[in-house]
Amino acid sequence: MNFSRKNILNFRYTILLVLGVLIFNSASNSLYAQKTKKDRIRLNIQYVKIMDGEIYFDIKASARIKKKTVKISNINLILYNELEEEKIKLGETTTNTDGESRFFLKNINEIRSDSSNTYNILVSFKGNDLYKKAKKNIQFKNANIKAKIITKDSVNYISATLSDASSKEPVADESLTVYIQRLFKPLRIGEEFNSTGDQGSILVPIDEGIPGVDGNLGIEVVLNESDDYGTVKAVVYAPIGVPIVDESTFDQRTMWSPRNKTPIFLLIFPNLLILGIWGFILYLIFNLFKLSKS
Amino acid sequence: MIMKTKEQIIKDLAPRKFTKLGKIWTALLIVVIIAGIIAYVDQLIKGQVVTNMRDYALWGIYISNFVFFVATSFVGTVVVSILRLTHKEWRTPLVRIAEVISLACIIMAGITIMIDMARPDRLLNLFIHARLQSPITWDVIIIPTYIVLSFLLLYFPLLPDMAILKKYYKENKPKLSKWYSTFSLNWTGSTIQKTIQAKSIKTIAYLIIPVGLILQTIDAWLFSTTYRVGWSSTNMGAYFISGAFVAGVGALITVVYVIRKAYKLEDYITDLHFDKMGRLLVLACLVYLYFNINEYLIPAFTASVEEETHLNLLFFGKYDPLFWFVIIGGLIVPIIVLLFKKGRKPLPMFIIAVLVVLGSWWKRYIIVTPTLLHPFLPIQGVPESWHHYFPSLHEWLITGATLAMALLIITMLFRYLPIIPIQRTTDENALLRSDKNKGL
Repeated sequence: MNFSRKNILNFRYTILLVLGVLIFNSASNSLYAQKTKKDRIRLNIQYVKIMDGEIYFDIKASARIKKKTVKISNINLILYNELEEEKIKLGETTTNTDGESRFFLKNINEIRSDSSNTYNILVSFKGNDLYKKAKKNIQFKNANIKAKIITKDSVNYISATLSDASSKEPVADESLTVYIQRLFKPLRIGEEFNSTGDQGSILVPIDEGIPGVDGNLGIEVVLNESDDYGTVKAVVYAPIGVPIVDESTFDQRTMWSPRNKTPIFLLIFPNLLILGIWGFILYLIFNLFKLSKS
Repeated sequence: MIMKTKEQIIKDLAPRKFTKLGKIWTALLIVVIIAGIIAYVDQLIKGQVVTNMRDYALWGIYISNFVFFVATSFVGTVVVSILRLTHKEWRTPLVRIAEVISLACIIMAGITIMIDMARPDRLLNLFIHARLQSPITWDVIIIPTYIVLSFLLLYFPLLPDMAILKKYYKENKPKLSKWYSTFSLNWTGSTIQKTIQAKSIKTIAYLIIPVGLILQTIDAWLFSTTYRVGWSSTNMGAYFISGAFVAGVGALITVVYVIRKAYKLEDYITDLHFDKMGRLLVLACLVYLYFNINEYLIPAFTASVEEETHLNLLFFGKYDPLFWFVIIGGLIVPIIVLLFKKGRKPLPMFIIAVLVVLGSWWKRYIIVTPTLLHPFLPIQGVPESWHHYFPSLHEWLITGATLAMALLIITMLFRYLPIIPIQRTTDENALLRSDKNKGL
């Protein structure tokens, strides 16, 4: 009887102790939460338009924490189309583990420009327990690049014209860059900056002998992060490259093939050696039998 | 050798029971083996995470120990076959010891590679999915081949001795005599039997040289066909063969000295034998030193960044105590000492041979580990543990057990086999007596 009473007492003390720890813990947590200073998020937004293709906004979220730039993942961002008197919500997006997010527009008509034909986009973050609220806006005009391949004196050129989509006027003194599409990263050809002339045009020669699958090259003309127009890209495909010859040794007998494609010499010589040596060994074992019988 | 009667020789050379010291030695080996087996079972259960091998140092002490075993097993080829084919008569009391070391080491090499595999249940895959392009497959083929040949090299010359022991123990130990009778394969010493035996031994002596060279070369090619700093060398095959020569003869001298003392075989294994073995070892060390100079000097001379990093690590870095111990203690000091006649006496020879064996073991460690820790393609942000390697307690226990197991095989074989060939010794003795009589 005494024993069980003592047990109950112990049990009470234990419950009290556990409760005490819990209360202290939650109190200290809330204290901690109050003391925590929220970090400021930096948003970066790029407008990208691919001619006859996608239109999207690339958004990056980062913060300076302990003197280091940290990518902020998994935060919810809201995009608005800002007009003179109203703000139209375009949608929401969430950053990935690299703190990046891409928000696609179905087409440019999904957003509206102001009276100066400028589009105003606002990206907004509401804030949470760790970060203060933040917003960033971007303005751009709609531009088009028309690109084509021309051949002069047996030399291929890429000819491109940059124009304002609203006024249809050519845009001069903007820098375009020409790239050839490659597997990992586009390869720049011509000058780094090719300024558009009065007609908004550039002409860049394409080197001979650039390899492409079946001789096809994807040539990109890019207006890169322009203050007025954002990033605009036009892609032209043309069979002006050198066809890539498939040098795969997949069907051949090589040192790196699977066992059913072992090189013939490796089948012959090691097997001859093995058979030769084991032939002698069998002869020796046979001699042991002969010895026991003789 | 002192001239003795046949009966005296048989009495001297017939296997003997363990002395007290022999029993302690055997018990000690068994304890080390049991500790290793416990560690190995734990490794089987938990996986190779119990070792300190990680993604960089994926070969560790197991592989360097395996290479040491393979190298030491070369002693059978060197002492037995080469000395036999060059008609060096002084080899007689040494051949069986060499044959036993060879067999024990190559068996343990095979077992060690299985330990390194971590999943022995997948051993059969090495045969089922074998690709002849892979040096691993060549190794899988050559090791069992060398085990069988080493066994035959030991067994054929044993037949007459088995028949002698069958007679010798007939009265006192009939059970043991029966065993010897079974293993003597009805040896009567008839002309036909002698002819078959002589032919077979000659065949093995010829065969084991190319097989031994292939074994060492494949072992070297396991490394040199892997494009890594310190391994990618055309010198590797010859370098490994000469290294095996050193390790094998070093191990032979060590074992011969201990056995000679333990079994009081001073009448049979004389200073002359040590002198001859000393000459053989100094030759081996000189050749190996030459290949070492090739292996380190040329990369140092033409140093690419990777080679320079690797060599700096060996010469002046983390591995420099081991590297210089191997080169100076394991090669240069033995060469200097053994060049003098006084250095080729049994005791100094034993001390030098122990140094050589230790040097040979650590040599394999510095061939394997530093190279693996410096891959050509560094992986960014790898865990800190990948950058370093030193064997874990499990690895030491298991490796210690494999070494103890090799020594136990040698100890047990010499418990039941004559250490020195009885028949051949009595034949030589008879020849010596008849020559002396003729002289008189």
